[in-house]
Amino acid sequence: MPETIIIHLTINGTGRSFRTPPGRRLLDLIRDDAGQTGTKEGCGAGECGACTVLLDGLPIPSCLVLAASCEGHEITTVEGLVHDGSPHAVQEAMVETGGVQCGFCTPGVIMTSVALLENSIDDREEQGRRLAGNLCRCTGYEKIFHALEVAGTTDD
Amino acid sequence: MDLSVKDIYRPLTFDEAVAAFSDEPSMLPIAGGTDISVQMRAGKFAGAHLLDLSGVLPRSISADGGFIEIGAGATMDEIADSGPLRSVCPALCQAARKVGAWPIQCRATLGGNLANASPAADTAPPLLVADALVVAAGQGGLRNIEAEDFFAGPGENTLKPGELIHSIRLPVTDPPSFSRFTKLGWQREQIISVVSLSISLHLNDQGLVTKAAAALGAVAATPKRAPSVEAVLVGHSLDPAAISRAVEAVQNDITPIDDIRAPAWYRRVAAATLVERMLEEASGA
Ligand SMILES: Cc1cc2nc3c(=O)[nH]c(=O)nc-3n(C[C@H](O)[C@H](O)[C@H](O)COP(=O)(O)OP(=O)(O)OC[C@H]3O[C@@H](n4cnc5c(N)ncnc54)[C@H](O)[C@@H]3O)c2cc1C
Ligand code: FES
Ligand code: FES
Repeated sequence: MPETIIIHLTINGTGRSFRTPPGRRLLDLIRDDAGQTGTKEGCGAGECGACTVLLDGLPIPSCLVLAASCEGHEITTVEGLVHDGSPHAVQEAMVETGGVQCGFCTPGVIMTSVALLENSIDDREEQGRRLAGNLCRCTGYEKIFHALEVAGTTDD
Repeated sequence: MDLSVKDIYRPLTFDEAVAAFSDEPSMLPIAGGTDISVQMRAGKFAGAHLLDLSGVLPRSISADGGFIEIGAGATMDEIADSGPLRSVCPALCQAARKVGAWPIQCRATLGGNLANASPAADTAPPLLVADALVVAAGQGGLRNIEAEDFFAGPGENTLKPGELIHSIRLPVTDPPSFSRFTKLGWQREQIISVVSLSISLHLNDQGLVTKAAAALGAVAATPKRAPSVEAVLVGHSLDPAAISRAVEAVQNDITPIDDIRAPAWYRRVAAATLVERMLEEASGA
C-alpha cells in the first residue's frame, strides 16, 4: 500500500478534505471519494472530454489531473450547476433542443459550454473549435450548438 | 484508476521545488500533467516519486526590458489570449491555441510542452523563430539556454539533472511584420502535428525581406530552424520565384522519418506545401 496524503479542495461550493493515495486522479476523487458520479470516464487519456470539469472556472480533463495538484482549488462538476433545485440555462437548453441522446458525453459538453458562456465566447465558429475536445457519438453536434445558442440568449 | 505513484512532494514555493529537485533529481516533475499522466497510465514511471509544480511555477506573462517573460506555468489558454504576446509574437498564440482541445489548453503548461521535447511540440517552432531563451533554474541559480540548444532528440532536452524550467524569454525589441504558425494533422482539431511550421518576416517599404526566420516541427529528431529557407528569402521580395526557391530549399532543412502518423515522403510534400501557402499569405497573394 502506498502512503496516503490529505487533500483539501472545494467541490461545488463546499470545502472538503480527503485522505487518498498520492496517485489518485481528480476524476476518481470526484466520483469515488466525493460520490459525484455525474462526471464520466470515457477514454481516460484526455481525448474524449467526458470527464471535463471546471477548475477555478475553466474546463480541464479530470482524467489527466492528479487530485493532489488541486489542493486549495475550486472544482465545479455538473451537479454543482443546479441552484435551488433549478438546472442551469445550459442544462435546460440541452433538454429542450434534444442535445442529449445517450447522455454519456453530456456532463462534459455542458461543463465546456458553461465555460464558453461565462467567458463570453459567443462566436459560433469559435464555440465549435472550443468544443472539439468533447466528442459525441450520437447527436451530430448540431443540437448541442443549438442548445448553446438558446442558453446564450437566456443565460443573463 | 489510481496512477502508480509512490509519493508526491508538494512544495509551497518555486525555490523549495528547485532545492528539493537538486537534492533528489530522480523525482519526476509534474506541471499540468496532460502529458505525464498519459504516459503513467500506459505503465511508464511506475512507483514514481512526483514533484508537483502545479502551484509554484512562475505563471505570469510580463514585459521585462527588451523581453517578454513567460512563466513556465503559463497555460496554453493564457498564452493564446495574452495581449502583449499577440502583438509581438502572434505565431506563439496561434500555436498555443492548437495544442489539443480547449480543456487541454486550460491545463497544459508551456514548460511541460518544452520539457517533453517532442519533435511535434507545437510551441517550439514559434519559439525557435523568435530566438527565445529557455531559463533553467537549478542549485546555482538561473541560466539561459538558447531555444535552438534546448532540444537534444526525441524526448530529450539539455536541462541538467536537478534543473527545472523557470520561464521563457522572448526578445521583443524588433517585432516582425509577419508572424504565423500552422500545423497539419489527421483531423482539423485536437491532433498531434504531422508537420508544423512557423515563419516570421521583416519586410521593408519596398516589400523586400530584410530578415527571415523559419522553423518546423515533426520533420526531424527535434523541432528545428530552416536556415536554407531563411537564406533564399532574405534580400528578395515575396514573388513567385522566391516562394518556389523557398519551397525547394525546405527539403535541405528536414530529415523526416516514417512513423505511425505519416511516412517520410508525405512529410516532405506537406512541409513544402505549408511553406508555399504561408509565404503566399505573407505576400498578400
Ligand atoms: C489529447 C491530447 C492532445 C495533445 N495535443 C497536443 C498538441 O496538439 N500539441 C502539442 O504540442 N502537445 C499536445 N499534447 C501534449 C501535452 O498536452 C503538451 O505537451 C503540454 O504542453 C504538456 O504540458 P503539461 O504542463 O501538461 O506537462 P506535464 O505532463 O506536467 O509534464 C510533461 C513533461 O515535462 C516535465 N516538466 C513539466 N514542467 C516542467 C518544468 N517547469 N521544468 C522541467 N520539467 C518539466 C515533466 O516532468 C514531464 O516530463 C496533447 C496531449 C493530450 C493528452
Ligand atoms: S475520460 Fe478524460 S478525456 Fe476522455
Ligand atoms: S449523446 Fe451520446 S455521446 Fe453524446
